[in-house]
Amino acid sequence: MPFYKYILRRFLFAIPLVLGITVIAFLIANAVPADPINANLPQNALGNERLVNAFREKWGLDEPLHIQYLVYLGNLVRGDMGESIKTRNPVASDLRQFLPATIELASFSIVVGLVMGIGFGVISAVWRRSFHDYAVRVFALIGVSFPVFLLALIGLSLFHAQLGWFSGPGRLGFLTPKPPHITGLYTIDSLLTGRWSTFRDALSHLILPSLVLGSYVAGIITRITRSSLLDVLGTDYVRTARSKGQIEPLVVMRHALSNALIPVVTMLGVLYGNLLAGAVLIEAIFAWPGIGRYAFRASTSQDFPAIMGVSMLIAFIYVVANFVVDFLYFFLDPRIRYT
Amino acid sequence: MADASRFWGRLRKNPEVLLGLVVVLAWIVVVIFAPLLAPYDPLQQNVSDRLQPPNDVYLLGTDELGRDILSRVLYGARITIPAGLVVIVVNTVIGWLIGAIAGFAGGAWDEAMMRTTELFMAFPTIILAMAITAALGPDIRNAVIALVIVRWTDYARLTRGLIIQAKTTEYVEAARSLGAGNIYLLFRTLLPNSVAPVLVYGSLDIGNAILLFAGLSFLGLGPEPSSPEWGRMISVGVSFFDQWWMWLSPGLAVASFVMAFNFIGDGLRDMLDPRSAT
Repeated sequence: MPFYKYILRRFLFAIPLVLGITVIAFLIANAVPADPINANLPQNALGNERLVNAFREKWGLDEPLHIQYLVYLGNLVRGDMGESIKTRNPVASDLRQFLPATIELASFSIVVGLVMGIGFGVISAVWRRSFHDYAVRVFALIGVSFPVFLLALIGLSLFHAQLGWFSGPGRLGFLTPKPPHITGLYTIDSLLTGRWSTFRDALSHLILPSLVLGSYVAGIITRITRSSLLDVLGTDYVRTARSKGQIEPLVVMRHALSNALIPVVTMLGVLYGNLLAGAVLIEAIFAWPGIGRYAFRASTSQDFPAIMGVSMLIAFIYVVANFVVDFLYFFLDPRIRYT
Repeated sequence: MADASRFWGRLRKNPEVLLGLVVVLAWIVVVIFAPLLAPYDPLQQNVSDRLQPPNDVYLLGTDELGRDILSRVLYGARITIPAGLVVIVVNTVIGWLIGAIAGFAGGAWDEAMMRTTELFMAFPTIILAMAITAALGPDIRNAVIALVIVRWTDYARLTRGLIIQAKTTEYVEAARSLGAGNIYLLFRTLLPNSVAPVLVYGSLDIGNAILLFAGLSFLGLGPEPSSPEWGRMISVGVSFFDQWWMWLSPGLAVASFVMAFNFIGDGLRDMLDPRSAT
């Protein structure tokens, strides 16, 4: 299958998914609350007839349900997700403001998880049934099952408050100025503008929450890498490589690992979505000003439009992440090209 | 008898299963006998003893109102664990029904229902649950309802697979040729033959349900603040971050429960997977 055809096909698959997400979000927003006006407007606006009528008008609340959905979709396409009750800003502009912090944290975490997971998985598979293998498997089991929010609290208390190894909550220290806004990711912006002290500060704030968030991913990737590498190491072509006299590290790294990692790549989209969801609790604990903490604050003040906005945004990112994975897959797995 | 001893032998090779079972049993005992085990009243305030670190009088310390944390954690098991159980039971029923109908009807029904499950899976579980709880108003019942709405998808997919497999077997064929109707086939023939794996999956999923429930409650979307519910205790404890005993004990309570179920599930998979024996 040629590249353009493959990508077009994946893209066409994504469209009904995206539309479906908006349907579910719409249904929750309209069917679940006893009164959508009550849920979407601040308390003091409820008595104001003009505001209530304007809201009713804007979202087509007097129309039948399917028309309401079309109105909702139309507003959404224009980038209008309603107004946050707490911040009084349009939800879309709040999300734009808070998203880069979350992207930075989630991307850093997935890198941490990948490096640790693949490293441990290879050690575990190559030295199967050794002490190392056993230790790695215990680590993976704890990594996938220990609640991240408790890990965050313990990490913060131990490595920040007691030992002082890493910076604590927030993205930067009080005295460090923000880097100029280019991508919104502080580490990258400070690098691009050559502000080394800002970069160091941003990085030291990023490490602890990424380790915590990445540990869960690391646990899962360790397991996939281990079992997939064990399968590949038993195949004929690996035996052939060995019988040619290839040294073992080359056999593992060049022949076996490149194929063993295909299942890891498949999981990446799903894992990235999980990370964004896990970020709610982690950002709340680390005072990380991303969409997770935004959702946390919204939920404690019952800011319904804001929570709905976050959940829809993450669902969209999930679809996009899986699309990117499909894209990578084409290059990694040659079998797709010949079917 | 021989089977039992072989099972016991395998169990000994997977000590994590045993550890998990012991922890779960211990918590069940706590749920039943909390009033006998707790040294104090979990709601009794004693302001002169507030924020005491663990000591001889208060084994796990006291909170900001001088309430005994050990007693609160023990009583908390009576809120969090049943809540998780209810979520799982309803999930199993709804998931089985949806999956069974999709698998049994096939065709357009199947397609529509499975696409719907995929949509639900695109949403991050905890955030969708947050949205629903916030819409309904935060309390225990609504947190449970929210988790039920967002968590049935795995059950539906599992059941659908089982039903599709069972549908083509000879005993279903036989029942059909004897004139059994669809409802009869679904509930009298297919249900007993597909429910066991779903129940096993559900029983191992209790840990995850409890983790999510505690997470919602940590976010302020569960019981009211004075409740000795684990997630709530952690969220109150976090505002007293340096008094680590306030959040560590309820946190470890959640962790022990979740990990116990993961250990059991993991060990069982090893024990039942013939490949791992080699």
